Amino acid sequence: MAIRTEAQAIPGILPGKVGVWWFLASEIMLFGGLIATFIVFRLGSTGWHGDAAHLSVPIGATNTLVLLTSSLTMVQAFAKAEDVNERGLRNNLALTILMGLAFLGIKAIEYSSEVWAGYTPASGIFWSFYYTMTGLHALHVLAGAIVNSILLGAGRLRNPLRLELAGLYWHFVDIVWIFLFPLLYLA
Amino acid sequence: MASHGRPNYVAIWGWLVALMILGLAASFLPGARGLAVALIFATAVAKALLVALNYMHLKFEPRLIYAIAIVPVLFVLMLIVALFPDFVFSR
Repeated sequence: MAIRTEAQAIPGILPGKVGVWWFLASEIMLFGGLIATFIVFRLGSTGWHGDAAHLSVPIGATNTLVLLTSSLTMVQAFAKAEDVNERGLRNNLALTILMGLAFLGIKAIEYSSEVWAGYTPASGIFWSFYYTMTGLHALHVLAGAIVNSILLGAGRLRNPLRLELAGLYWHFVDIVWIFLFPLLYLA
Repeated sequence: MASHGRPNYVAIWGWLVALMILGLAASFLPGARGLAVALIFATAVAKALLVALNYMHLKFEPRLIYAIAIVPVLFVLMLIVALFPDFVFSR
């Protein structure tokens, strides 16, 4: 006897959106676990402030501005999709991808300067956390840029929901950086 | 068409940049480090809320989506608080 296994729609919420939010919930636990461990280590030991002082606040702040602005263009792409403005959608999505790549480029330059100065992941617990947290975040930015590129290359974008779902992920990646920047560079 | 309202996205971006500058300025505050750190993280929380509520449209979503988003945040906070005794009482 056949068993019906279709997902039941929840009134008022599209199934895709529930799926993405569940995925983001697991991501919150992933980054949250790392951040919680970082905070406990940081408060429980001394000398971390000295290590953090070697990071470049201007570079970190520039990358923060880049990601915040990319969130604006991402949500504008979604708004243009709702308005059935294909050109505006594409321009904003392309800008979002470019800013994601700019973020990664700036991060790569920053990593190189730190490694050249002798600060590698093996240079101490602060640096291990720094490279793990920012590296994992950078991989998420790369994944977001790839998803956005697939959307951009997928021909006519008739469905604003796809933009909204990709945007949820992109804004989440932005929020993670909103916390990583003060944790690592400022506090 | 849109099943939600549309916030002024550019104005939200303006607030985000202003809060970023405020957080940066707080990190240069002389004197008590505790106040500076509190200000830095208050601006970070405000920025995260602005993005989640407006850009992720959380303020237009039903309670189920709020629950999915908030429960893991509470778990993370519980994780931090549960580990507090290590650095509060071990000194």
